[in-house]
Amino acid sequence: MHISEGILSGAVLASGALLTAGGCAIGLKKMTNERIPEVAVLSSAFFVASLIHVPLGPASVHLIMNGLVGVVLGWMAFPSILVALLLQALLFQYGGITVLGVNTFNMAMPAVLSYYLFNFLVRRGNRAVTYLAAFLAGMTGVGGAAVLLAVSLVTTGEEFTSVAGVVVITHLPVMVLEGVITAFSVAFLKKVRPEILEVGR
Amino acid sequence: MKVYHWILTVLLVVTLPSVVAAHRVNLFGYVENGRVVLDAYFVDGTKAKGALVEVFERGTDKRLLQGRTDDNGSFSFRPPAPVDLRIVLTASMGHRAEYTITREELLGGSGVSNEGVQGGETVSEPSRREVYSLGEQEIEKVVERVVRRELGPVKSILLKIQEAHTRPSVRDVLGGVGYILGLMGVAMYFKRRK
Repeated sequence: MHISEGILSGAVLASGALLTAGGCAIGLKKMTNERIPEVAVLSSAFFVASLIHVPLGPASVHLIMNGLVGVVLGWMAFPSILVALLLQALLFQYGGITVLGVNTFNMAMPAVLSYYLFNFLVRRGNRAVTYLAAFLAGMTGVGGAAVLLAVSLVTTGEEFTSVAGVVVITHLPVMVLEGVITAFSVAFLKKVRPEILEVGR
Repeated sequence: MKVYHWILTVLLVVTLPSVVAAHRVNLFGYVENGRVVLDAYFVDGTKAKGALVEVFERGTDKRLLQGRTDDNGSFSFRPPAPVDLRIVLTASMGHRAEYTITREELLGGSGVSNEGVQGGETVSEPSRREVYSLGEQEIEKVVERVVRRELGPVKSILLKIQEAHTRPSVRDVLGGVGYILGLMGVAMYFKRRK
């Protein structure tokens, strides 16, 4: 999921950085003092999730957890994911500093999308609806990130349909797995701390 | 606040034992028998198969040759000229790595033309040649062969160390989480003062 340095053109890097800056601006505006701990905890979760490797099939894939971050935080997923990706780039050399904008947008935008699609259902729904909506939120996060990754790579000359196919297929198992993890995490949060699901507003 | 600590603890406990893997491609190379041997794999140890390898002359960025890694994620080639090489590996899904092999490494591995380096030695000590009953070239060959055999395991150990070095360590992970908590503190401090 992390695009390396030196692959994308300057124009793509710049537009990624601009879009991410916009997303962060909205997110930071919503981030009041009381919401900072939630943003930080989910940032840590995202930071660590990339280290969990899923040995499914021939491909090497890892958890992303942007769906969980998004369904809880909404637009604040942008600053949250930006910080985590920055640290991953500095400490593990995943991705890179110049690609930070593109990588953040690719993972944070689907996160925001899953907030708008599923947060209401998660909060208001009964038990079954909560599980299902959170499951779909997890899937949307990874699926959306895979599609945006393919879109970014098209600009390097790879053909969209073939890249998108490869990316989505390799991430299908992760989508399902993340859906399940997100479903249980969100259901747990709703039980012990229902107010955490309101922070995104 | 308690529940955050709790979630964080659970996350750490669950993840620490499996801190070995994620998606980033690594490229390593060494010189053997005058050939440059490359080894490409992802951080979790999966070999990077069929990845594009491009070899450039460092400095001028002239492309010397290109190819693809085999099923073991390796690729080898005979360097066309004794120059500093910049090797770029492009794997699928936006993964890319670089490795540099210097002119000195190429010459050290023999096989490439290296008159300039060894010619000087023989000229400066002509009398030594008479001491040996074997020709100097033969001795050189024998020594080279023995050294290569002895260094084989050392090379693989070095590769393993290099490989382990690129994996995220527990320290890195804890450091990262610490940074996030620190940033949280800074953010809360400045927001409160307003």
